[in-house]
Amino acid sequence: MTQAGYGLALLLFLAIPPIAHLFESIMIIHMHMQMPLLVISGFFIATFFQKRYPGFFEKWNEDGIPGILLFSIVFSYWMIPRTMDEALTVPAVEVFKFISLPFLCGVPLRDSWFKISLFVKKIVFATFTLLFFALGVLYIKAPVQLCNNYLLIDQLTLGWGFLTMAICFMIFIVYYVFTEKEAT
Amino acid sequence: MTTVNVGASERSLKQKVEQALGVVAEDAKLSKSYMTVAFIALLIGGFLGLFQGLERAGLIQLPSWFTYYQVLTAHGILLVLVLTAFFTIGYFYAGLSQVLGGILPHVRRMAWIGFWLKIVGFVCAVIPIIMNDATVMFTFYPPMAASPLFYIGLALIVIGVWMCAFGAFINVATWRKQNPGKQIPIFAFFATGVFVLLFFGSIGVTIEVIMLIFWSAGILETINVMVSRTLFWSFGHTLVNIWYLTAVSAWYTIVPKIIGGRRFSDTLTRVVVILLVITNIPGGFHHQIVDPGMGEALKYMHVFMSLAIGFPSLMTAYAMFSVFERTGRLKGGKGLLGWFKKLPWGDVRFLAPFIAMAAFAPAGAGGIAQTTNQLNQVVHNTLWVVGHFHLTVGTSVVLTFFGISYWLIPHISKRVLTPQMNRIGIIQTIIWTVGMLFMSGAMHYVGLLGSPRRTSYTTYGDHAVALGWDPYMILLAIGGTLLIVGVIIQVYAVFNMMFFAPKGKTEFPIAETEEEPQGKKPALWADRWGLWIVLMLLVVSMGYVIPLVDMIVNAPPGSPPIRTW
Ligand code: HEM
Ligand SMILES: [Cu+2]
Repeated sequence: MTQAGYGLALLLFLAIPPIAHLFESIMIIHMHMQMPLLVISGFFIATFFQKRYPGFFEKWNEDGIPGILLFSIVFSYWMIPRTMDEALTVPAVEVFKFISLPFLCGVPLRDSWFKISLFVKKIVFATFTLLFFALGVLYIKAPVQLCNNYLLIDQLTLGWGFLTMAICFMIFIVYYVFTEKEAT
Repeated sequence: MTTVNVGASERSLKQKVEQALGVVAEDAKLSKSYMTVAFIALLIGGFLGLFQGLERAGLIQLPSWFTYYQVLTAHGILLVLVLTAFFTIGYFYAGLSQVLGGILPHVRRMAWIGFWLKIVGFVCAVIPIIMNDATVMFTFYPPMAASPLFYIGLALIVIGVWMCAFGAFINVATWRKQNPGKQIPIFAFFATGVFVLLFFGSIGVTIEVIMLIFWSAGILETINVMVSRTLFWSFGHTLVNIWYLTAVSAWYTIVPKIIGGRRFSDTLTRVVVILLVITNIPGGFHHQIVDPGMGEALKYMHVFMSLAIGFPSLMTAYAMFSVFERTGRLKGGKGLLGWFKKLPWGDVRFLAPFIAMAAFAPAGAGGIAQTTNQLNQVVHNTLWVVGHFHLTVGTSVVLTFFGISYWLIPHISKRVLTPQMNRIGIIQTIIWTVGMLFMSGAMHYVGLLGSPRRTSYTTYGDHAVALGWDPYMILLAIGGTLLIVGVIIQVYAVFNMMFFAPKGKTEFPIAETEEEPQGKKPALWADRWGLWIVLMLLVVSMGYVIPLVDMIVNAPPGSPPIRTW
């Protein structure tokens, strides 16, 4: 099977109703496992579109910036508590999640990441690190339940998930800065 | 007979240089000190084990001033903490000295400080055990509370280990700076993996131990029992894999050289190390399958985490047998299994680690069984579990360590392994194997019949079921007796090789890799340890955030310190 085939298989697997239900039953797994996996499936599927419509990517995503912007916006959108809630209650939004994360996040990420300059990559990485810190604090500090579908404890867990991820990113940044200095 | 000094016929320039340089005297002294402590711990711990075995068989009764549970605490700490930690550090420092061209002076000083911190810590921990103030077993689960001195001792031991870990990191990093574009030598790569696990794996337990110090001293009133157990096993389980990785390092890099072959694919070896390091720490939950306070879904998720470790183990099994077969065939082994006969069975440096690997097959299978929810409920806290880890650590790991000692001790002592000593080693290996077959076999079986672990001799008022265990307990005692003979021989061999064997040069036998395809670039990406550490931490947070938040936020009232004995 080609890469795109694996990506599609992953997407279909995640969409099987009991599987989707299992992932969505725990808030942190919904956001930190299902959603990234959907992006990854799109990341693989991207090869199909790149081969099929090279002109399209050439024209609209020449330097990678539009793609990475699209990725950032859509991905950030799905980190808003309200959107998660809606995905669980409004079927159309759930469908939109399964389309937007692979095709509007994963595909443009794949196409852009190898086009954008190192500087832009650093900005993207730093932005998401900051965003994760902020969201972590938000979810931990929020005194009220932000989602109808998840309990306060789920929210707290998600907050700590964000914070630990952000810390890992920070460690990576420190490591990167050090080894980069060595390399030059 | 197979000669003891099997080596590749053509030696590369690098090896010639190494041989000319020999061993750095100060580094050898360091390793010798670590080895000395390790094997003294084996001697004392072995006798304590024998006493336990005899007591459980109803043959002796331990006195009231040194109870079964004190003995058990000391046996656990001496063997799973002191023996393994000291051996691992001594072995890896000897190897780092060899492959990195000597230990840096300030790193050597760190390793010495670490040595003494551990010794002082150990003395602090032993005093309350002897005074019956720390009869809490090596797992020191709260709410059982030991004297604060015991926990302070443990904390010092951990800090001592960290000194050695950071020393190793500094040494490897310095070497990389001086050798740009070169791969970390494979042995140092293993050492890095082991020390990464030692450091990150012990952070959780250090937090626990610090809390326990305040709690047992009365400053903290209560403690969260579930969090403590979880933090303990994040370490306990990692420790298990540290031993395993240490043994595996010898299987991949040393054993092929001893049988006169080459080692398995360099890149795949590194992948195995990386996988073991990344996937390891959350596996600790399989020690808590019966614990309350965690949902079934979570336990299910963690079965997956612990089975993940099975994968690199299977890769290892494949790698080993492919090396054996290739070497056996090169030596003229024909047919389906002819190569098997060509292996140097008369060389203890091969026989001991080989039996260790073979033992890992049933040991690993038992481990997979235990990690399954329902099967765990059958064997949990029975002697089955004790049988299991005498097979894993007591055989797979320890027998590899023994096999290592037959070249490492001569190497650092500037002496040689004589044919007589080799024969003694073979006898020792056989005694140990037979002893463990008896002891571990009996433990496994009687555990299935329900005999509990960590329980001194009792017939439960002559209950028929309990009486039915007795014949197996006799087998257990027979095994234990054989094992103590093995311990004595092994300790004798070590100190003989250290001080009395004929002088000479013994090499540190690291195998060359198989021929790589022409023009293949070395896998430099594998050396990006910063990245592996970040991935490891991500996996750790994936595993621990959900249960820890739940255990802390929804905590029941904490427990005050309790003296149950
Ligand atoms: C002379 C050899 C040995 C004998 C006779 C022996 C015997 C025993 C016995 C009878 C028990 C107690 C079972 C119970 O009541 O739960 C035990 C526990 C244990 N042994 Fe050994 N053993 C030996 C060597 C080793 C070695 C080499 C190791 C590890 C490197 C080891 C690690 C342990 C551990 C961790 C425990 C559990 C302690 C606890 O439950 O707190 N033993 N051993
Ligand atoms: Cu474990």
